[in-house]
Amino acid sequence: MSGTPGSGGLRAGAALAVLLKWIVLVFFLAVAVLPLAWLVLNSFKTNLEIQSSPFSLPARPDFENYANAVALADLPRLFLNSVIVAVGTVFLNLVASSMAGFVLARESWKGRETVRTVLEAGVLVPILAFMVPYFTLVTRLGLYDKLVTLVLVYAAINVPVSIFLVTSFMRAIPKEMEEAAIIDGCSFVQRFTKVVLPLSRSGLVTAGTFCFIYAWNEFLMAMLLTSSISARTIQLGIRFFTSQFITDYAGMFAAIVLSILPSVLAYVFLHNKIIAGLTAGAVKG
Amino acid sequence: MKNRGGGSAFKIAAFLVPVGVLFAAFFLYPFVFTLFASLTRWRGIGAMRFIGLGNFGRLLGDPTFRLAIRNNVTWALAAGFVQVPLAALVAILLARRPRGWKFLRTVYFLPNVISTVALAMVWSALYNPQYGFFNGLLKLAGFEARNFLGDPSTALLSVIVSSVLYIGYFMIILLAAAMNIPQELYEAAKIDGANAFQQEFLITVPMLRGTLVTSITLAMAYGMRHFEATFLMTGGGPAYSTTTMGIDLFLKMDALRYSEASAAGVILILLGTVVIVAIRKILGNKDPMSEAGQ
Repeated sequence: MSGTPGSGGLRAGAALAVLLKWIVLVFFLAVAVLPLAWLVLNSFKTNLEIQSSPFSLPARPDFENYANAVALADLPRLFLNSVIVAVGTVFLNLVASSMAGFVLARESWKGRETVRTVLEAGVLVPILAFMVPYFTLVTRLGLYDKLVTLVLVYAAINVPVSIFLVTSFMRAIPKEMEEAAIIDGCSFVQRFTKVVLPLSRSGLVTAGTFCFIYAWNEFLMAMLLTSSISARTIQLGIRFFTSQFITDYAGMFAAIVLSILPSVLAYVFLHNKIIAGLTAGAVKG
Repeated sequence: MKNRGGGSAFKIAAFLVPVGVLFAAFFLYPFVFTLFASLTRWRGIGAMRFIGLGNFGRLLGDPTFRLAIRNNVTWALAAGFVQVPLAALVAILLARRPRGWKFLRTVYFLPNVISTVALAMVWSALYNPQYGFFNGLLKLAGFEARNFLGDPSTALLSVIVSSVLYIGYFMIILLAAAMNIPQELYEAAKIDGANAFQQEFLITVPMLRGTLVTSITLAMAYGMRHFEATFLMTGGGPAYSTTTMGIDLFLKMDALRYSEASAAGVILILLGTVVIVAIRKILGNKDPMSEAGQ
């Protein structure tokens, strides 16, 4: 963009290009931020203020909305349920994926590539096509309306992505590290727990973050496979908020703000891992 | 190596058991089950009665399901040919590392970590005829308020806009590929007198071709399975104007028409696969797994 000597016309053209560039960049910044900013703003307004003008600032920040949302919608319960589901999903998925990833990345055996391809091809499957079998399987196993069911389903749905991330990470570990451990008398299981697992921590964190965000945000399967408050996640909870308190928009906005905090916080602290995980494929391709 | 610390067939198999159980229960079994159930008459209880392709005939003759397919195709086209090109434009701009590009990249992706439920509720509020943001703008400009989501002529477009402008995911993928292009190519082009525009069109775009094809393929596959935002914002209405295959499947299942719902699932999987294969044939033979997957 710089350093090209040119006529006045060229320079005006370059200035216009810079202007257009920033218009595009700022537009998409606004798209990403404005709806969320409007949400946060409204969560501090009174219902009357929301109804009277969509743009006005709250006369006085109203934290009562948050108190109302917590009390009326039983938010602590919904939060606890979602935390249990998300943490359980991350744990189960990482245990299963790291074990499989270990033998897929560090052992050679017949059929290995086929197994890996089939597992990773799972990302191409539209899970929502499986509403009927998921529902019938879960009811027949007596697992309907239980938090553990969501843990199983979410951990399974994330297997393809995690296998990809964990396996490619484990493959990059130098062979010498393991060979040294074997000379020191490490068994098969110890190679996994003492050498490969600690060295793939970064890949596990990335896969775990994806699992957490997925489990925290998932809606369809939670709607399909649970019904009572005892197994209701935060997403279903805020979804029902509107029908419960049709006029309390302010309380609804406050509940939504609270519901997005955990995944936003996870993103604030781990965005580098998330971006690295997303680009793992593109860079190698 | 074989005996000390190496895995016997038994040990290797044991390590595959957890993933194997999860994958078998929630990918392989549902796949086979859906195929089988789609060929039967079955309402969730009692025996399945084999009826052949009858469910498919009924579905494809159903105007609502045909509209659902058309809406999914619209979603796929919007994702592939509006969302991805916009993402590519932003990625190309950010690849030049303008001031604050890392911050912008992080913020553009932020909506992707927020639940569809929350975003759908926010966008429903933005579109609200009484207190919504967009109607506030319309009223300021002296226009009548519109019921964006309640009017069959604007509902589909309104939901698509609320989703397609979030470019973060594809922008991240395309940006990583754009930054991977060897800098020497641009140096050489500069020496040959190519200006910034020419450099982007003659170097960046062709070099991004593979990643672009992958992104378009994925975006269209996601469009063919679009469900959540629409379900949450309009429920498929008004008058089925925004319905999708997933919503139709859900409603059929809710009405205990399990075998027709399974047939809808088969069509959903089939059309998703057709889109992936067709786009790769039309735009180039790039394996989507080779970039998105591995």
